[in-house]
Amino acid sequence: MTSHAAYRRRVVAILLAPALFVLIAVTAGPLLYLLVTSFTPLDLTRPDSFRFSGFDNYRELLRDDRFWNSVGVQFRLSAATVLAQLVLGLGLALLLNRPLPFREALRTGFMVPMVLPPIIVAIIWKIWFTPLLTPLNVLTVPLGIVQPSWLTEPALALGTIVLADVWEWTPFTTLILLAALQMMPDEPLEAARVDGASPWQQFLWIILPLLRPALMAAGLFRLIDSFKAFPLIFVMTGGGPGVATEPTNYYAYTQAFNQTFIGYSSAMIVVMLMVTMALSALILGLPGLQRDAD
Amino acid sequence: MPTDAVARSSRSRVDWWLPLTIGVLLLVLSPVVWLLMMSFKTEVDALAMPPKLIFVPTLENYSGLLEARFLRPLLNSVVVATVTTVLSLALGVPAAYALSRGRAWATGGIAFWILATRMAPPIAFAIPFFLAYRTIGWLDTLSGLIVIYLTFNLSLVIWLMRAFFDGIPVSLEEAAWIDGASLGQTIRAVVLPLTAPGIAASAILCFLAAWNDFFFALVLTRSSAMTAPVAIVNFMHYAGWDWGRITAGSIIVALPVIAFAVPVRRYLVSGLTAGALKG
Repeated sequence: MTSHAAYRRRVVAILLAPALFVLIAVTAGPLLYLLVTSFTPLDLTRPDSFRFSGFDNYRELLRDDRFWNSVGVQFRLSAATVLAQLVLGLGLALLLNRPLPFREALRTGFMVPMVLPPIIVAIIWKIWFTPLLTPLNVLTVPLGIVQPSWLTEPALALGTIVLADVWEWTPFTTLILLAALQMMPDEPLEAARVDGASPWQQFLWIILPLLRPALMAAGLFRLIDSFKAFPLIFVMTGGGPGVATEPTNYYAYTQAFNQTFIGYSSAMIVVMLMVTMALSALILGLPGLQRDAD
Repeated sequence: MPTDAVARSSRSRVDWWLPLTIGVLLLVLSPVVWLLMMSFKTEVDALAMPPKLIFVPTLENYSGLLEARFLRPLLNSVVVATVTTVLSLALGVPAAYALSRGRAWATGGIAFWILATRMAPPIAFAIPFFLAYRTIGWLDTLSGLIVIYLTFNLSLVIWLMRAFFDGIPVSLEEAAWIDGASLGQTIRAVVLPLTAPGIAASAILCFLAAWNDFFFALVLTRSSAMTAPVAIVNFMHYAGWDWGRITAGSIIVALPVIAFAVPVRRYLVSGLTAGALKG
């Protein structure tokens, strides 16, 4: 029996080693390298720029108005999309949790925006908000309404990104909340019904509190993912007009790949990474959602 | 007849929920339907004002894709997504089995690392990979894309498959062991057949994650290794605003995704939340 256990342990190590080696090589290695470049003024047009410059990039970030603008854009984008996705996702989950004919087909239909390639979603909404091509003209042209130029109007551009992102990712919050609704115990609801609680009271005092962990998890996931919104912005507005729709992730992209300021961009990304890691740790700490620790 | 009235009113309430749900669904999917319609319109019809809802469909946008050399990027997408899927499964499935059956010494740390890499903004990997590939001449190569896709697909396979292996009682394997089967035989004859659906779901999710990628392909390829999503966006930027080809190309890239996503719908959440939620 002990030889079997030792044999098993050895096999387990042999099975695990290649994957762990590759995983570390493609994730930990690059992230360490990113940390290194963030302490250099690395600029691809200047060959001698790969040298240690301490916290210069990080100090520069604090003075950079465009960086602070990007943080503000990110904040508005994240707040609006996460809130809307939670509210709409909850409504949709409640709707799809009802006994309906064709329920499976309907649920699948609602998932389409989430599984589409993100670049296709971006093209879909680029068309939607291009006055020459949008189906809105079916209504606006006969009524004589002139559409604003959605994507180039500073007051509207971020709103178009928000709408597209909400459309794309509400299915995600819906799925998580739907799963939570299906796991929900029947007894509290039945007790409330027996006591004569109205549907609204049942929702407010029973369903909503029971859904809280799922709402937290879905919200945190969407919050972290909202830091990475890229294809929508790249295709729809390119960060413009000006820098009106340029969140930090996009600013970092332009600094590294439209310009050549790799070092400065790295510092920005390291800051983003630290924020996402902290939020990820929050997710793992959520009660009832962590995997059993065996 | 009070009971009758109650029955009728509750039935009529149920009757309203279905049209409401279908109505919302049609509204949600209308932008996709519009894309589909545009891909079958001539340029004149696409720009008609007010827009035409009824029109004579044409395939000219799809045949135009052939002239626009869309086949090469499409083939690149297929090759890259297939190879990265095979590699992720080959490395990840044994590792997931080991994590499930071995002691939990590493599981907690690996769970956090998998979650952290899934959460990290892709640009955090794009910059170091870009610098490394520039040095070793891997920019604009399919190998370069295949390797960077392992950053998310390997984690995905390990996490999904571990949950599947956890679902197989160890007692089944012990029975085979007592009957004299070697560990290799046990895995082949007992474990793998039971986890075949999990392997299929993992394969589909890996393929889709690579197929859907735009960002890494944008940063790491230029022309010869360009994938279909980048090629479509290039119709937008360099070839003027060629909406016919953009929409037709979009439909071609989106179709396999919808076809594949339906069978794995119930794994979508575990796939997207790898590392955090129970699979």
